[in-house]
This record gives sequence, C-alpha cells and structure tokens, in this order.
Amino acid sequence: MDQTFLVNVFGSCDKCFKKRALRPVFKKSQQLSYCSTCAEIMATDGLHENETLASLKSEAETLKGKLEEERAKLHDVELHQVAERVEALGQFVMKTRRTLKGHGNKVLCMDWCKDKRRIVSSSQDGKVIVWDSFTTNKEHAVTMPCTWVMACAYAPSGCAIACGGLDNKCSVYPLTFDKNENMAAKKKSVAMHTNYLSACSFTNSDMQILTASGDGTCALWDVESGQLLQSFHGHGADVLCLDLAPSETGNTFVSGGCDKKAMVWDMRSGQCVQAFETHESDVNSVRYYPSGDAFASGSDDATCRLYDLRADREVAIYSKESIIFGASSVDFSLSGRLLFAGYNDYTINVWDVLKGSRVSILFGHENRVSTLRVSPDGTAFCSGSWDHTLRVWA
Amino acid sequence: MQPTKGPCVTCQYKCAPVCPKRLASRRWRWLWDRRMKEGVFNNSSTSISQARKAVEQLKMEACMDRVKVSQAAADLLAYCEAHMREDPLIIPVPASENPFREKKFFCTIL
Repeated sequence: MDQTFLVNVFGSCDKCFKKRALRPVFKKSQQLSYCSTCAEIMATDGLHENETLASLKSEAETLKGKLEEERAKLHDVELHQVAERVEALGQFVMKTRRTLKGHGNKVLCMDWCKDKRRIVSSSQDGKVIVWDSFTTNKEHAVTMPCTWVMACAYAPSGCAIACGGLDNKCSVYPLTFDKNENMAAKKKSVAMHTNYLSACSFTNSDMQILTASGDGTCALWDVESGQLLQSFHGHGADVLCLDLAPSETGNTFVSGGCDKKAMVWDMRSGQCVQAFETHESDVNSVRYYPSGDAFASGSDDATCRLYDLRADREVAIYSKESIIFGASSVDFSLSGRLLFAGYNDYTINVWDVLKGSRVSILFGHENRVSTLRVSPDGTAFCSGSWDHTLRVWA
Repeated sequence: MQPTKGPCVTCQYKCAPVCPKRLASRRWRWLWDRRMKEGVFNNSSTSISQARKAVEQLKMEACMDRVKVSQAAADLLAYCEAHMREDPLIIPVPASENPFREKKFFCTIL
C-alpha cells in the first residue's frame, strides 16, 4: 500500500518462510513481516461473517446516499440569493505593476514572504529564485539537483525557503546574505516521499512543514530532525495542493487531489474530518477563505467552487460557458470578497465570491498561469506562468 | 489507488505514467492495456481494507454537526462586509501608500 515511507525489506516471510519482499502487517498490535501473498490471505481471513467486498461497497454507497440526504436537508438557500442585498462591486482596474524576468523555463510555484515584499519562485529548470518585488531584483538563487521544482514555500520568519519536486524530497535552505556562503551547502532534506512532491507549506513556525505528494499522501515533518510527525492517508490518487487553516489555533488543513476530492484533515489525529467530491476532474488548487469557515478550489473541469465547512457542502460554483480551460490556482483577496483564479487559457479571472459573477478578466501572460498568490497585506497579487515570468498585479 | 498522474518526464503534460504521446504508439498502448487488465494497480487485499476504511470514514462523517446554508452564508457575508474596507484591492488605497502603484524609483545613485 502506498506509505509515505515504503521501506523495501527483503527476507523470509514470517508465515511461509519463503524469501520474498516483505510488508509490515499488524496482528493484535504485534508487527510481523509477511510476503505479499500471505498478506493477501491474511486480509481475506480477516473478513467478518457475511462481509464481502461487495457488501462493504454497497454499505459505503448507502452511507453516501444518507450523507447526501442530510446535507440536502440544510440546503435552504443559495449564497448568491443571500448576497443580493450586498452592493455590487465597481469597475476594477488592475494592471501588471511588476514583471519578474529571470527564470529559464516554466514557473511552477511561488510564495510571498510575511514581509509583503519578497517572493520565492521555482521553475522547471530546477532554479529557485528569491525576488524583491518592489525593485524586481533577485536576492538569492539556488539550483536544485532535479528539474520540475513543483513546490516552494517561504518560512514565516523569512529566514528560510523550502522547495521540492521530482526528487521526491522537500529541502529547506536557510537564506543567508553572506556572499561567500553557498546556499546549496546548507541544504537540509526534510521530507521523503515515494513520489513527486506537489505542494509544501510551513505551519505557523519554521519548525514544521506540511507536504503533499504524488504518492497520494500528505505528511507533517519536523524540520530540525527530519522526522515524520504525522501522515495523512485517504486520497485515492495524487495529492496536488494543500492549504493550512488561517487561524493561529487552527489545526486543520485542506488538500485536493487527482481523485476529484477535496479533503479536510485534523493535523493532530491524522484523520480526515470532511471530504467533498463535487468536482468533475482533478482539483488543482485549494485555498481557505480568510475567516477559515470555507475554502475554494480550482479544478481541471474549468470551474472554481466554494465549500462551506460548517454547512458541509458546496455553496457556490464559479464558472462560465466560455471558460473551457482548467483553473490551475486560486486565491482570495484580504476580505474574501474577490477570488482570483489563474487558468490554462493564459488569463486570470476575478470572481465576486458572494454574488458568483465574474468581475474582471486579466490578460498579460503568454502561456498558462500556473500559480497565483495574494500578498499577505492584500495590496497586490502575484501570478507565475509557463511563459517564464511572474507578474505582480495591483 | 489509481496510477500516478505526475508530469511525464519527457514532455510537459500532467498525465498517466505513460503520456498520451507515447500511447499513440501501438506497442506502448498494448503494454499499457495488458497491465491494466492484469490489475497491476489493483490488489484485492488492499481493496478490502480500503473498502472497510471508506465505510468507517463515512460513518464518522455522518455524525457531524451541520449548520444551515442560510446561517453559513450569513456568516460569510458578515465577515466580508466587516473586512471590505481594509481590503486594498477593493477600496484602493491612495497611490502614495501602495508600494506597487507609486512611481517611486528604487535605484540608488552611485
């Protein structure tokens, strides 16, 4: 089964004593090592009376049906109906204020620093660059040993960055202004997955990192020791994105994956608290609403959807017939009134979250928009694209 | 667990381990179909434990306390209205205070 750390042990099976590749199996809280054939026999033995795969599946279906009924009972009104009394937004004039050029290939991910000024971005050519968005100067540049650096994140203190991609690892680089020091020398490998790293994020401190991977799991790591603190299993396919709940005491995060599901997890127990499966294709990006009570997701089915956590259902869909390309990344403005979404048709659509209508469409990129983040103080947002540039809009 | 959908290492498409470009070749397509039929990616023991886990998960989710959509929507609206004034992208701050809009030159004179 896909574990975050699949150790390949080779030896004699505890049951049949043949020399095979072994898997850990727990029998009455005792760990044994069985080969895959014995493990399968064990699992079928473990079926209770009258329990077959088919009966379990049909039970799951009936439970799902009941869940839908419960959710539908509370669906008394639509969000845009409640929002009719709110005044409409005026015309928006948002332009590219800065263009950050310097990457040699597609920009895959970016993140803002808490000082509202610095940006870290990573690209397909393996380079991770730290920019000063006011002056467009490059402050640091690191070359990763792998291509397709799909995830990068800035530490809350501003003293380190984390990045990873096809190397299946998440590496933390402390940022130093000493020109004589080689940043790559101080690199620390924190996470180890069995497939590519798709997203990473520091928690409230520099000491813990949350990662999402193509092996279908998310994991929480301690930066100092590199130890796995908690792993989150439940997605049936690659996990593509994650976002942490905004509040200081919040202990949940949401993740979206190729199994069309968005799942909300409890970081302490490792359990999935809520799951939403209304998208029709891969969920590329998830972002919490600033209050923490809802989250938005962008997907390859060309829609963005808003899910409310307390009502436990989808409350709004942001789509238009003219939009046929998938949304690769979404983010909210500071108040949560605007939802910025970058699409694969090279545009950025700005949606009115409450009324469900599109407010503005921004052109400028010459290839698909792969990443989009609003700055911590909400004065601007930055988008990265496959056209090798990042643009800061305000 | 479905086969992974990471970026194909030879081209840029986010796709199955064998990308559509390769599947166009008949030999690859044949290999791929054979592996799918053999169920290399499906394992019966894992299916049973997965099904059991899914049932447990659904039972847990069924016990959740839910709020009416009208209540949840009202709260979202309230938060929005409370913070809209401070949102620089909705109520633009004067150009002198927005570091991106002002026409200041950041170059130092040598």
